[in-house]
Amino acid sequence: MPIISKKNSVDSIFSLITGVASSVVVVLIIGILVVLLRESSLAISRFGVIHFLLSTDWNPVKESFGAASTIFGTFVTTSLALLIAIPLALGIAIFVTEIAPDFMKGPIGIAIELLAAIPSIIYGMWGLFTLAPIMSKYIEPALQKTVGALPLIGILFSGTPMGIDILTASVILSIMIIPFTASISRDSFNLTPSVVKESAYAIGATKWEVVKNVVLPYSKLGVYGGVALSLGRALGETMAVAFVLGNNHQITTSLFDAAATITVTLANEFTEADKDLYLSSLFYLALVLFIISFIVLAIAKFFLLKAERRYSR
Amino acid sequence: MSDQVEIEAKDLSFYYAGTIHSLKQVNLSAHKMAVTALIGPSGCGKTTLLRCFNRMHDLYPKNRYEGQIIFEGKDVLSSDVDVIKLRSKIGMVFQKPTPFPMTIFDNIAYGLKLKGITNRSELSEKVEKALKNAALWDEAKDKLNVSAYDLSGGQQQRLVIARALAVEPHVLLFDEPTSALDPISTSKIEELIVQLKNNVTIIIVTHNMQQAARISDWTGFMMLGELIEFDRTDKMFTAPSEKLTEDYITGRFG
Amino acid sequence: MNVEQKRKAESILALALSTLAAFSGLFWLVFILGDVLVHGIGALTPALFLNDPTPPGVVGGGLRNAFVGQLMITAFATLIGVPIGILGGTFLAEYARGTRTARAISVLSDIMVSVPSIVVGTFIYAIMVKTVGHFNGWAGAVALAVIMIPVVLRTTEDMLSLVPWTLREAAFALGAPYYRVIIEVVYRGAATGIFTGVLLSIARVAGETAPLLFTSFNNSFFSTDMRGPVASLTATIFQYAMGPYEEWHMQAWGAAFIITVFILLITIAGRLIIKWRYK
Repeated sequence: MPIISKKNSVDSIFSLITGVASSVVVVLIIGILVVLLRESSLAISRFGVIHFLLSTDWNPVKESFGAASTIFGTFVTTSLALLIAIPLALGIAIFVTEIAPDFMKGPIGIAIELLAAIPSIIYGMWGLFTLAPIMSKYIEPALQKTVGALPLIGILFSGTPMGIDILTASVILSIMIIPFTASISRDSFNLTPSVVKESAYAIGATKWEVVKNVVLPYSKLGVYGGVALSLGRALGETMAVAFVLGNNHQITTSLFDAAATITVTLANEFTEADKDLYLSSLFYLALVLFIISFIVLAIAKFFLLKAERRYSR
Repeated sequence: MSDQVEIEAKDLSFYYAGTIHSLKQVNLSAHKMAVTALIGPSGCGKTTLLRCFNRMHDLYPKNRYEGQIIFEGKDVLSSDVDVIKLRSKIGMVFQKPTPFPMTIFDNIAYGLKLKGITNRSELSEKVEKALKNAALWDEAKDKLNVSAYDLSGGQQQRLVIARALAVEPHVLLFDEPTSALDPISTSKIEELIVQLKNNVTIIIVTHNMQQAARISDWTGFMMLGELIEFDRTDKMFTAPSEKLTEDYITGRFG
Repeated sequence: MNVEQKRKAESILALALSTLAAFSGLFWLVFILGDVLVHGIGALTPALFLNDPTPPGVVGGGLRNAFVGQLMITAFATLIGVPIGILGGTFLAEYARGTRTARAISVLSDIMVSVPSIVVGTFIYAIMVKTVGHFNGWAGAVALAVIMIPVVLRTTEDMLSLVPWTLREAAFALGAPYYRVIIEVVYRGAATGIFTGVLLSIARVAGETAPLLFTSFNNSFFSTDMRGPVASLTATIFQYAMGPYEEWHMQAWGAAFIITVFILLITIAGRLIIKWRYK
């Protein structure tokens, strides 16, 4: 790099030190992959890849392990959480960018930031002591009586509402990811040039039509990125769901049943794994989670970079 | 005005990264105790030429020089020149004021500290001298420990000049130093430049022909990377020998 | 209803729903914070800070061990993570500015910021716990540092990039070598931003639980020995809240209160600094 003056050895040393420091990130990513692969090699050689991913068996006593039930739990809780969070987050972003008077923009923005800053263990604890009782006493029986009585989807709301179940975990997860989706959507909305919006108003569009037909299409890449980022976050979230999901390895049709995610299984069982194969299978789960979330986050980053490039033009 | 040459470009060509031929065989001598102005339409290479003299182009990869720049009897462009030492002898002032995020005092002391001066009283003495030379002392003497960002734009530009003067350079390069300033600040900087030429050789790039006419002794007119004409300012503006120069000066293009 | 009225009604409905969504966000915040504050304040007794845990059923227990442990783990994580992050960010924004390497590392860091923290925990377990045979505080500190590094690195890169390039040129033109330009001019210009980034990264890791579960683990005794298991507030909250005893729940609320207030204060301070500096 010619920017370093050739005569100055301190400069070369400093650039070397900073270069090494920045490579730490790369070393970490490769390191995580290599170490997790090595640690799970025992389980990989015993169960293979396809069989491990498809087997619903999780039996420490018989030492038979499969990831399907935890992958199921992970995907059901995160998709349900996204389903709840996305409309709310978009609503928040629309409110902050288009509706709120200036004096409210700041406080609502700060509220969103604070929601994002609350540690997940607090969400989990609050879920266990406060939300779960409310869910089991009021919300879940109400759901059961109304939508639960419908044919077909009624099955989703069957069983005894205990509060420690997929629905409660998804609600907590959705509250946790709303801030991410909302703040990225808000930033993308803000990048819509005001001239474009004004010209839509000028032909008589209502505010909602401007949002729907101009702002949303204009910022969709950023919104996709925000959603994918939230998905990545939700997949890896541990403590917020660990309290209220019940850690029950099963594939179920009812949202009122307990389940297990990859993260919850790791949190509950990692320090209890007494046999090599058990521990190795847990490492295998961690590896699966790492790969899935890495891919999802890479997709998120891809959208965000594409959005950034488009706006900077 | 003297006729001694301070710094001289000989057959100087310059290529930006890639292959753009940005300066073509430029020959120009800046005289001691004189102001040399470089004028020409935007994109003509005047700033590129200016940034050759202190080798600012070295900051970016793959830039390439050809030819020579003779300063103190040596070729500035040769690879064994210590650019850091070179730049402390050839100062530079930019379009927009570039005060560092420090106090006024520390801004000016910065270059001195780079030279290894740490003695507090010597620093104060040189800072005061530099501020006086840059006609900023009266305005700044009571707030030396205030952030440089608290000064007005014109004051910031004089601060930056003072900072460049403090290291006692032989040549001072100005890159459109007044283009971001109001008319009053501009006239202060112009007066300052005229005064400064008694101590330091000045090369100034300007897009403002009146400014070149007002303050310079020599003028170079450039176009498309070539130095079309170089002569004494009074002659350039009254009887240019090149048709292109005449067209430019009389406003027929540019 | 004619078309125009219908369009207007639709617009009002949609905007009303958006407003409702925004207030639901506020509602959750107030609900969760209020709950933590109400439950937590009652649990704040001198004993909570001054005493170590007692066996279940014995009154007068506290979480002194967890407060001290949390402080040590977070402090060491900061000491390891912040310098690496700042130096790494410096490379991306200065020496490698605009290069493909810099862009790639920057993108990887962004991904790394959101990688599940529990995965980091398993990784550190494998290299720092399994190898020595027992849980230890250093493993916890390193796990948190691993989470901090990409955060600090990206903030530093962004903050350094905000410093105008001409400022560097002006310093070069005085004959400064690049490392002095960076340390004396660029860092100064970006100091507030980097400081805020460091603050926010501390807030981020101070609430982390998952990476500590298999690294520093937990310790019901007071210990400042980083070579052995060290208690932390977050791991204690997990253990106590899931436990069967009412006193444990109270203490967990107390710990939750302290952690939440600490993190929110840092976050708000960070926001205020940014607002004041970059308005």
